[in-house]
Amino acid sequence: MADTGENFAAFNSRALVEMVGGVTDEALKVTRIKQFLSVLAGRFFNWAGRKSLFTLHLGIKCCAIEMAAAATPRFDGDRFGVLFRSSPRQSDVLLVNGPVSKKFADKIVRLWEQMPEPKYCIAMGECAISGGPYFQSYNILEGVDTVIPVDVYIPGCPPRPEALIDGFGLLREKIIRIGGAPSTGRDSDKPIIVGDE
Amino acid sequence: MAQMWITMGPQHPMTHGLWTLRVKVDGETVVDTEAELGYIHRGVEKICEARDFTQITPYCDRLCYVSAMTWANSYIYAAEDLLEAEVPARAEYIRLISAELQRLASHLMWLGAFGPDIGNLTLMTWCMRDREMFLDLLQELGGSRMHYNYPRVGGVKRDIPIGFADRMVAKVKLFEKRIEEYEMMLDESTIWLVRLQGVGYANAEEMVEAGVSGPNIRAAGVNYDARWAHPYSVYDEVDWEPAVEKPTSVKGADCYDRYRVRIEEMRQSCRMVLDAIEQIPGGKNTNYASGDEMIYTKPPNRAPEGATGFSNYECTRGASQFYIKGGGEGRGKMPYRLSIRSPMFITIPYVAKTMIGYKVADIPAIMGSFDPCIGETDR
Amino acid sequence: MGMAITLEQNVTAVTECADAINDRFSGSGITAEIIQHSNAKKYSFVRISTPPQHWQALAKWMKFEIGVNYCSMITGTHFPEGPDERGWDVVYHLLRQPVTDQLPNTNTVFVAEKMVGSFIPVEFEVIIDLPNNDSPTVPTVQHIWIGSDWNEKETWDLVGIKFEGHKNMHRVLNPHDSPEGFHPLQKQHKIRYHDFNEMYDDAQGFVRKPADEGRVK
Repeated sequence: MADTGENFAAFNSRALVEMVGGVTDEALKVTRIKQFLSVLAGRFFNWAGRKSLFTLHLGIKCCAIEMAAAATPRFDGDRFGVLFRSSPRQSDVLLVNGPVSKKFADKIVRLWEQMPEPKYCIAMGECAISGGPYFQSYNILEGVDTVIPVDVYIPGCPPRPEALIDGFGLLREKIIRIGGAPSTGRDSDKPIIVGDE
Repeated sequence: MAQMWITMGPQHPMTHGLWTLRVKVDGETVVDTEAELGYIHRGVEKICEARDFTQITPYCDRLCYVSAMTWANSYIYAAEDLLEAEVPARAEYIRLISAELQRLASHLMWLGAFGPDIGNLTLMTWCMRDREMFLDLLQELGGSRMHYNYPRVGGVKRDIPIGFADRMVAKVKLFEKRIEEYEMMLDESTIWLVRLQGVGYANAEEMVEAGVSGPNIRAAGVNYDARWAHPYSVYDEVDWEPAVEKPTSVKGADCYDRYRVRIEEMRQSCRMVLDAIEQIPGGKNTNYASGDEMIYTKPPNRAPEGATGFSNYECTRGASQFYIKGGGEGRGKMPYRLSIRSPMFITIPYVAKTMIGYKVADIPAIMGSFDPCIGETDR
Repeated sequence: MGMAITLEQNVTAVTECADAINDRFSGSGITAEIIQHSNAKKYSFVRISTPPQHWQALAKWMKFEIGVNYCSMITGTHFPEGPDERGWDVVYHLLRQPVTDQLPNTNTVFVAEKMVGSFIPVEFEVIIDLPNNDSPTVPTVQHIWIGSDWNEKETWDLVGIKFEGHKNMHRVLNPHDSPEGFHPLQKQHKIRYHDFNEMYDDAQGFVRKPADEGRVK
């Protein structure tokens, strides 16, 4: 028999929880503790997120070798918290390091959609920014930003591992600004490009 | 038990590049496979029809990005056949040195990616650290860590810097000792041996029929190397031997043999480079200016319709060939048709069939041991 | 010192193969000639030209009589402005590689300078000219050399040359949903921005001079 809440003799735990929760919520809002806690939590999550950017293990072309070199003893991205994860469901950053062909376009959009918020995209290398040396090709998109919103552009062909680490640094500064804002509708008229200062 | 198709899709930590391997499994055993390529097909052959002969060299660097110098050299030999250019002897020695240093860097990259597939994460850090030594040397020659755009039709762009010879000899001698460290770590490791021996047998005749070349057939005991069979450059004047492994089974070469062949090739490359720098005409401590006749002879820059050029070059993964037809745009300044033969394009479908009969856990070992590089596959 | 095939070995082997082909196929339109490379050590190779209808017979003979066991490259080219009998051409690059029955625990020790007869590696180039029409067709050699399988798929995919008798033809490099009849390396397809004189408006700040108006750089 379904519990419709009309049998007042029985103990209805759901109604109890809702009532207590509602009362506590009102109390916290009035005393502004809730606002204080959410600012604190937001700052904490922002700090934790930008100090440990889990990057998807995606290697498209030559820049992937420089990405691998940035993870190795000489340049060591791990000391900045940059770790490579195999599954898009567990990663924060999609590092696009090569040209996106028509065959791969819907797959990279699918990988992007599988990543949970907050997520960021870095376009590494000329091919991901604008098609690079293959901008005239019949099979290569002119830049990954035709299908995915990009946060940081790292020019170079290929960019040195130091440039990639600098790109992650600029991404961290951007995360301080935008925090957990959703990935659609970020201001793309002020792109961040490594080497611009 | 039901059979099902699993997609080891384009984004996969094992595949070393962007391609899909669909495997049909019956429990843990692989029953059928299908390879799908073309995720980074850039249409380089079409783009090069609108590029000058000098402008094509950077595209060839980016074909197989792990061993860029060998692919640029391979294209340059074809362009020299087409344009009928002469190359001075010092330039040939420099090309040999740069190609062999690149072969060392490429095999180290292979080992650094193959080790983690088998489970040995230390190899990644060790190999990439040693690869940085050779990338520094190549950076002195070409200006960049990858994609040097270094050889020119008729010679090379820049001469070796002063002091390069001493730095290179010191690094190569250090590396020869490091190879022994690798062997010590790997050949006495039970896990390494168990995962590689007896896995991925590939028969020599079948491989040659299928068009496989390079270290993959030398692991099966077949001594065939384009450096002596179709000689080019000065390989007959430096001291080396092709690295060939004896297969232990009538079924052919297993993953362990392919791994050993590449270690031996690294030794042979060290030997070649040390010998070449001593014999280089003009001395190892002189630096000629760019365009000097010791390192570069200016070639004609147009090729008439009907002229063709072909080169058969031993790249790190096999025999790469370029076929260029002259008479394109710009009244012959650009090729009419440039065709690239990639060894991996032929090998990957063959390797996909080698995996049948083994377990799913053997797939990374087999795939990695053939050393795929998708950049050249998908031109 | 490193070993290498000598010039004399190369010349002997190449002459032998060319003579064998010319003797066997004289009078059927198949010609073999010896061409010298202009690069590297200036060695020679055998260039054979054949009409398409005799290609399979020639291929089988080359494999079993001369020992050509390696199909390495197939190139298709489109000549829209060529003469009527050469609108398309397919070039096969083949090699004769010395492989013997590989026994376990042995290396095949070749000492290059001592190789004789059919052990000496030789390069072959087979050119098949096709008439200038909309459906160039060449008989397949998929059953003769396994290495030609994916090469033929790629040639059809990019250039549009059909291989008669080829089983399981499918697109390998272009996406599977490319339009039917789209073969990018045909000359009527131009690359992006092909007809642009400047890629971007005044990219480097140089204004185009009036005298340069309309001039293709």
